[in-house]
Amino acid sequence: MRHSYRLVCIAMAIALSLTLSCSKEEGRVTLMIGGAPAELDYWETLLEDFTENTGIEVGLMRQPTDTDQRRQSLIIPLEAGEGDPDVFLMDIVWIGQFAASGWLEGLEPMMAVDNFETSPFFSRVIDLADTYEGRLIALPVYVDAGLLYYRADLLIEYGFTSPPATWADLVKISVQIQAAQRMTNPDFWGFVWQGAQYEGLVCTFLEFSTAGGGGLVDDSGALTLDRPENIAALNFMRDLIATFGISRPNTYTEMKEEEVRSTFQSGNALFGRNWPYAWGLHQEDGSAVKGLVGISLLPAFSGGEHAATLGGWHIGISRSSDNKEAAWQLVKYIVSRDVQLGFALNLGWNPARQDIYNAPEIVEHVPHLVQLRDIFDSAVARPNVPYYSLLSRELQQRVNAALAGTATPAEALKTAQREGIDIVDRYRQ
Amino acid sequence: MRKPVTFTRNRKEGRTAFLFVLPLVTVIVLFIVIPVLGTFWTGLFRDVTYLPTKFAYFSNYRRLLTDSDFWRSFRFTMLFVATAIPLEMALGMVFALILNERLRMRNALRATVLIPWAVPTIVAARTWELIYNYGYGLANYLIALLGLSDAPVNWLGSPVGAFFALILADVWKTTPFVAIILLAGLQTIPEEIYEQARVDGTNFLQRFFKITLPMLKPVIAVALIFRSIDTIRILDLIYVVTDGGPGGSTTSLSLYGYKYFNEGDFGYGSAIAVVVFVIAFLLSVSYLKVGGFGRAME
Repeated sequence: MRHSYRLVCIAMAIALSLTLSCSKEEGRVTLMIGGAPAELDYWETLLEDFTENTGIEVGLMRQPTDTDQRRQSLIIPLEAGEGDPDVFLMDIVWIGQFAASGWLEGLEPMMAVDNFETSPFFSRVIDLADTYEGRLIALPVYVDAGLLYYRADLLIEYGFTSPPATWADLVKISVQIQAAQRMTNPDFWGFVWQGAQYEGLVCTFLEFSTAGGGGLVDDSGALTLDRPENIAALNFMRDLIATFGISRPNTYTEMKEEEVRSTFQSGNALFGRNWPYAWGLHQEDGSAVKGLVGISLLPAFSGGEHAATLGGWHIGISRSSDNKEAAWQLVKYIVSRDVQLGFALNLGWNPARQDIYNAPEIVEHVPHLVQLRDIFDSAVARPNVPYYSLLSRELQQRVNAALAGTATPAEALKTAQREGIDIVDRYRQ
Repeated sequence: MRKPVTFTRNRKEGRTAFLFVLPLVTVIVLFIVIPVLGTFWTGLFRDVTYLPTKFAYFSNYRRLLTDSDFWRSFRFTMLFVATAIPLEMALGMVFALILNERLRMRNALRATVLIPWAVPTIVAARTWELIYNYGYGLANYLIALLGLSDAPVNWLGSPVGAFFALILADVWKTTPFVAIILLAGLQTIPEEIYEQARVDGTNFLQRFFKITLPMLKPVIAVALIFRSIDTIRILDLIYVVTDGGPGGSTTSLSLYGYKYFNEGDFGYGSAIAVVVFVIAFLLSVSYLKVGGFGRAME
């Protein structure tokens, strides 16, 4: 028995020393971020610069690239109330859950001390995404919105002077040019977009439905998934594949951002729906469409409005952080004008600050950004509720089933509405 | 009648015996009993990150009864097990019988057959995803090469297509495991029995059904248990190839539960995990009973 006692003691000693080595000295914070390797390398140089200026050490906890896995690796330490990470990045749609779970430190007290103003940021983004139940709990790092990419050279070649303003026009132009292009390129498609069963499908569905006067919720915030405008929009999405034949049959199985981008970039599509990141890649050397691409607002249905889904990543401070003062310094630094300008120039991220869009460096190096500013200012947000991801999963699979043809659009949305109401009832506070 | 083994009532020996089983018991308690009980315990709570945690008795389990998506993934998982396991067992048996013959390069062949099993599932799944890819997948390339269809096939585009695409990938991946276990069993059957049977003028089928199959029973039970438990919990292959699509039709129980964990509902996710555990447990017990595995060990 003495032996096992000793073992237990050793085990406890190891555990204790691990705990001690995790607790940290003054002036140190931990930042948890994920992303492509090039992005993380850029973060490291930023953080060195920050440490040089403030004397605050920053530990970088690297996360995977995949969005779902990034969330998972955050949920566990936050739910456990760990001191690390102090600061982290969140996808716009997680903020509701994170805020309602009590994981986010309110920023207003610290802002008041520093006279920090939110006026340079897009006020729409601050209101829709970063404010939860009247409290500011996050700040935007960059913003995203859905765009229409088009092949300017082909439109001119076939005598069209401007990108389509309505979805009916887009179909008409696509059918004509696709048929003509297929003579030489049998794999040419009129319009590529995200239709696989994942978060991106909710974004495209929200754009189609808003463009026809629908939406996921009404003005009071009540769920309205099966309203007639949404059913019409979903019918149209299905028709793009099944009736007009201008979108690939694998739209609902495989098409995510990168598949859309690579199809468009290899010169196999006339129109594409994508996020702003694709612009820089389309313009790279070796891209088949370099210099031939234009961007514009996504079309509207006749009588409807142009709609773009608001995306982007936000920064927040953990309520369990053991160094909130230093954490706030880091947040302030990351959303500062210089750093945001650096993100735009080096990573192609769209600044969340309006005061950057007219900067001379931007106008010179990334002129298309200037065009995007108005789009960000009017983008539609997904519901900012804690149970959003449950709603989203429900909607994804019903909309995807309708695209696959295993349910009619009306059936699919009626089911989504019924199940959605059930989720709201069950998970509402 | 064998004499039952009895421990000598010697304190010192008893303590030694206790120390011998202690590591095993510790591992089982730490890594199996505690997590299983912990999961069951969590399943009794409303444990949602953004709601106050409260004891909810069996309400998560009651919710399962009326959750149509749960039953859809239950049906999918059971259908998957019922389709994949017989195929794996039959093919595994064929491979095992072939590899048990005195062939030239038998060792090289055995090693080759094992390759799919040695590949990590995630890698294999990604490879199958690429094979099924609509635009540049191998399957559609072959279809075009053989002139079977003018247009590419969207293999994962219908619930039935996606189901069988997953079955094929799973059978490819795990048949070698079954083959190797059965092969090990085949090698324990004494050659003399077959020689005797040949002298008695039996044919191959008679020998297979009268000698091979009965003597392999315990080994078949082991293979069945391992494969069934694995297949009931299937997650990685589906997560990569379809992620439950199209329209949620290929959501397995584990994938369904995983989504709840990821969305912050630990209570409901745990309840689903407990159901998976109970099904796997019951299935194992029934194999042991029906397969006579327990008796064979006596």
